[in-house]
Amino acid sequence: MKLLEGLVVILAMIVPFVLIKSHDMLTYVYWCCVASIYLIYIALSRW
Amino acid sequence: MLYILAFIVYAIIGTAIAIYARKGIRTQEDYYIGGRRVSGAISALTYAATTYSAFMMVGLVGLSYASGVGAFGFELFYLVGTLLLLSYYAPRIWKLGKDGGYITPGDMISERYGAMVPKIMAIIVSIALIPYISVQLIGVALIIEKNSGISFMNGIFLAAILIAFWAFLGGLRGVAWTDAVQGIFMLVLAVSAVIWVNTFGFSGISFTQEVPKLGELLTVPNRIWTPLRFISLTVPWFFFALTNPQVFQRLYIPESEHAVKRMVILFGTFGLIYTILVTFLGLELRVMTELGSFPLIKDRDAVTPTLLGMMPPSLGVLLSLSIFAAAITTANSIVLTLASMISRDLFGSERIFTGKMLIVLLTIAITIFALQRPGYIVELSVLSSTLLLCQLPLILGVFHWKVGGKITASLTLISGFSTALALFYMKSNPLGIPASVWVFAVSFFVFFIVGYSEKRYVRS
Repeated sequence: MKLLEGLVVILAMIVPFVLIKSHDMLTYVYWCCVASIYLIYIALSRW
Repeated sequence: MLYILAFIVYAIIGTAIAIYARKGIRTQEDYYIGGRRVSGAISALTYAATTYSAFMMVGLVGLSYASGVGAFGFELFYLVGTLLLLSYYAPRIWKLGKDGGYITPGDMISERYGAMVPKIMAIIVSIALIPYISVQLIGVALIIEKNSGISFMNGIFLAAILIAFWAFLGGLRGVAWTDAVQGIFMLVLAVSAVIWVNTFGFSGISFTQEVPKLGELLTVPNRIWTPLRFISLTVPWFFFALTNPQVFQRLYIPESEHAVKRMVILFGTFGLIYTILVTFLGLELRVMTELGSFPLIKDRDAVTPTLLGMMPPSLGVLLSLSIFAAAITTANSIVLTLASMISRDLFGSERIFTGKMLIVLLTIAITIFALQRPGYIVELSVLSSTLLLCQLPLILGVFHWKVGGKITASLTLISGFSTALALFYMKSNPLGIPASVWVFAVSFFVFFIVGYSEKRYVRS
């Protein structure tokens, strides 16, 4: 299991809990980007 | 009337697909896992339709409405966790399944831990998942009753008949093909709902300009999404791909390793788009409430039914039918998987007939539960993912650890399951730690402690 990869993904997902405090869609867009980038990474790099 | 017409068309199309799918079914391998000849695209769609139940369009819309972006983060945590697990384990599980001729998740466990362990697993997953399906039926029957005039009881019966009939007729292929059509239907209707709400609620108004009105609902943590609550919900869902047998069994079905990879990527794409649509819909409706164009709803499960009542009848009927489809696709996949596990793992039957009878019996049990609607059913269904967590050390153990035999596996399952039930009935989180984390910790602790003892015992 790629533990480092898992750790990076989890850390990236919890960023809004500590760093994003603005009352707009930034948290939503940020999470969209993280999930999209990870999906693209899996599609292109993993296999 | 419109709903009944749409429902009849839906039932005819699904039944035609299931009848066509039954051709060529001779063995349990054909019946339960489509003979390992399912394409990557169909595998992805059945995986998605099985995973995304009526919870999405009802529960998650309401959760986003009531709690804001935290609901989106919770659901995406599930998705990235699943992608992480599937991208690593799916090809390995598929290969093990193909080489070993595995049909149920228990077959893989049996080879490593002995034949007794899958019997315990079959009992645990039945206890965990039967209330879960019953709640799905209750939810859709209530929506149908509110929007179509079909009574609650008839709604339950209609759903139960379709669940049993499509699975009974076509086995996995029947379920997978109907899932694929319904999955696309669910996605199209989610897009339509977002477009309609955007047109209806935000004509001449910018959503992005109005969204700051939601205040703390746009950030995490907030009053609702405390770190503890977030952890307690995400831990069991993060491992859903490995611990829920109805999705685990789908890792055996693709026709090739390439199809496995396609399944994972297409499922991820479906999941991301569907999650964005559903949560965005919830946020849109909440902004509309702030603007006075949508009523303030205190009960979050009433958000989608209220929306359905405001929509044009044709769109309302189709969206309501897509919610029904979401429940059916999840329920019949679970029923088929439970039938395979009880039939093969618990009773040791090699006959398709046993599985078919179990599909009927399980559907009757689910219907009775749903009709009685005891209070504890809803709570048990919420608990389902936590109850299933006790299987995780065993599954990971197949790939990573040499410790553990039948005693270890049996005690791990029993202790993890008992912990989940005990904490549920006591309604307590000892030391402030969520029940799901306790189950996770207890299961792994027992697995390793007993595992090393068993290893020494075997050596001596």
